[in-house]
Amino acid sequence: MSSQVKVQQDDFNVEQLYQSLRNNNQTGGVVMFVGLVRDFTTVKNQQEDSVFELEHYPGMTEHNLAKIVSTAQKKWSLHEVIVVHRIGKLAPQEQIVFVGVSAEHRREAFLACDFIMDYLKSRAAFWKKETQTHQSNWVAASEQDEAQLQRWED
Amino acid sequence: MYKIKVCFFASLREQLAMESTQVVLSKPLSVLELKEKITAQYAQGSHLLDKGIQASIDFEFARDQDIIDPETVNEVAFFPPVTGG
Repeated sequence: MSSQVKVQQDDFNVEQLYQSLRNNNQTGGVVMFVGLVRDFTTVKNQQEDSVFELEHYPGMTEHNLAKIVSTAQKKWSLHEVIVVHRIGKLAPQEQIVFVGVSAEHRREAFLACDFIMDYLKSRAAFWKKETQTHQSNWVAASEQDEAQLQRWED
Repeated sequence: MYKIKVCFFASLREQLAMESTQVVLSKPLSVLELKEKITAQYAQGSHLLDKGIQASIDFEFARDQDIIDPETVNEVAFFPPVTGG
């Protein structure tokens, strides 16, 4: 049982991360989620002027993610867990977040991956900002995301 | 007297026009009391009292009634609801 949490500006390579997740000969399944930046522009042909940025709280973000991963590891029997979240300026369609979980059986891997993403959305210190035609907007948190957490309360 | 660092993020950082400040405390106070103290000191400080503003004490999410003990706490932060993922 081990885990990796990374907050980085650089893109990540899903194939490499997948290989790290399947290095245990008892692993029977790997579940991976990749989040992408949606094209948020509403003005036609302004994609080039549009900027998507992710701010984070250095130290707290890593602390939040490590805590979420450790809670998942206590809840289910898992082999590897890898979380990578990008920060800084990103373009539409770029990869933004990776959550990968390997386990002996698929059920644990599916549940843990879903759990980690749900908590990451509402309990990790990241903030999204969208800029188009020189107008900047901080993305509002979704009440639905917060409500999703109730699914996991036992 | 103890000094603690108070950090601001995202829209709140822009509204207050500062990333962080030092606050001198002589005794424990609640998160809400710290918000009110900063609000009284800075022109745009009232944004701290906006609905939904969240807080953390040494990287742990905190509520208005949680107590900040300046003897053991290093850093408090205020920010809007998070939007990662």
